[in-house]
Amino acid sequence: MARKKGIRFIYDAAIFILLEIAALAMLRNSGAMHDLWISKGLHSVTAKVWGSLDDIRYYFSLKAENDKLAQENFILAQELRHCREMFGRDSSGLRAFSDTAGNYRYMPAAIARMTDNGQHNYIIIDKGSEDGVDEKSGIITSCGAVGIIDAVGRHYSYALSFKNSGVSISARIGKEGSVGPMRWDGHSDRGAILSEIPHHITLTPGDTVYTSGYSTIFPPDIPLGTIGDARIVNGATYEIEVSLLEDFNSLRYVTIVSHIYSDELKRLEEGK
Amino acid sequence: MKTPQHFGLIYFTLAIAQIIIGNCFHLSAYVTLSILPVMVLCIPLNVGTIAAMLIAFATGLAADASCEGLAGLNALALVPVAFIRKPLIRLVFGEELIERKQQFSIRKFGWTKTSAAILAVQSIFLIIYIIADGAGARPFWFNASRFGASLAAGWLLSLAVAAVIVPDDKK
Repeated sequence: MARKKGIRFIYDAAIFILLEIAALAMLRNSGAMHDLWISKGLHSVTAKVWGSLDDIRYYFSLKAENDKLAQENFILAQELRHCREMFGRDSSGLRAFSDTAGNYRYMPAAIARMTDNGQHNYIIIDKGSEDGVDEKSGIITSCGAVGIIDAVGRHYSYALSFKNSGVSISARIGKEGSVGPMRWDGHSDRGAILSEIPHHITLTPGDTVYTSGYSTIFPPDIPLGTIGDARIVNGATYEIEVSLLEDFNSLRYVTIVSHIYSDELKRLEEGK
Repeated sequence: MKTPQHFGLIYFTLAIAQIIIGNCFHLSAYVTLSILPVMVLCIPLNVGTIAAMLIAFATGLAADASCEGLAGLNALALVPVAFIRKPLIRLVFGEELIERKQQFSIRKFGWTKTSAAILAVQSIFLIIYIIADGAGARPFWFNASRFGASLAAGWLLSLAVAAVIVPDDKK
């Protein structure tokens, strides 16, 4: 019964719309003023409909757009690294685009899975050995170091998140300051602890903390966070609170970074 | 209840009356006298919404053609009245009237309810009519004054028309 009423209402509404359109068409032909007024109204309705359709289409194309932007972002970041490399050390001229800048090789990737609510958080990324990913490679973004690859499958890799109590990164206060290990504070979303900083160093809250580049995992000068309160531990070193720049909750695209001479460095260290 | 043939005759006569009103009674630029909405409201309830809309459209076109008006203006304003006729009657006079397919009358439902229904259809008709007639070129205060004056004049005239078109049953 209700369905029958619904169908009848649709018929009524359709006839109503048809009759109104017919009346409007006749009114439009009645004079220039009405023609202009109705045309204006029609254009405004058409614009709104097309605008809404565009919004819907845009919404459904966001994923593809994000992928494209991430790829473009990666290419731009690589060019920036090349430029820094050229003006800093190597001035032999511009090179064609490659995935290598300085001693590091970079590769864009997307996060396939990530845990964020435990003490041993991990990340799974959509690149594996077939893409050239090695163990002990770093995972970075423009806002920080995100994790370290621990195991590599053919198509995916497993990484320990920085928000894992077992992960520590060598960090430096400012670009020329003291270096110490930095680890997640174990409870907050964006909190970390930088330790082993000599107590004679003058600290200014708000200073930026960067990767030191002393390990083969992360290249130097990636901004990690800003320093906050500090306290002296055992009367010898500072333990400093760091507010991370990276928001792990909105993380989607990352860059895998690996040292191209890591094997050589490893052999040297083992030989010693 | 009047027979459809009887109603058709009254409706046709009232349509001619509207044409005469449109041609001869130009009271003011602020007053648009129209009995078309109440005529559509009083179409017998055994006539469906689609048929009522077609009747309203044809009546509107006839009025437009005979009153030196803009073609389609009355039709544009009158079809929505026919579209909301049954829901409005259901709202004002109750479901029972629709189910029994009876006509409302002033004696049966009183002045208040009848006036409310007439004011509702007059308002819908006049809002569309005045906006479309002005084509966005007239100021709001003019349209508002025209609406107020036309509603008041149309309401009185429509009450008289309602009494003619659906006379009280005398048993």
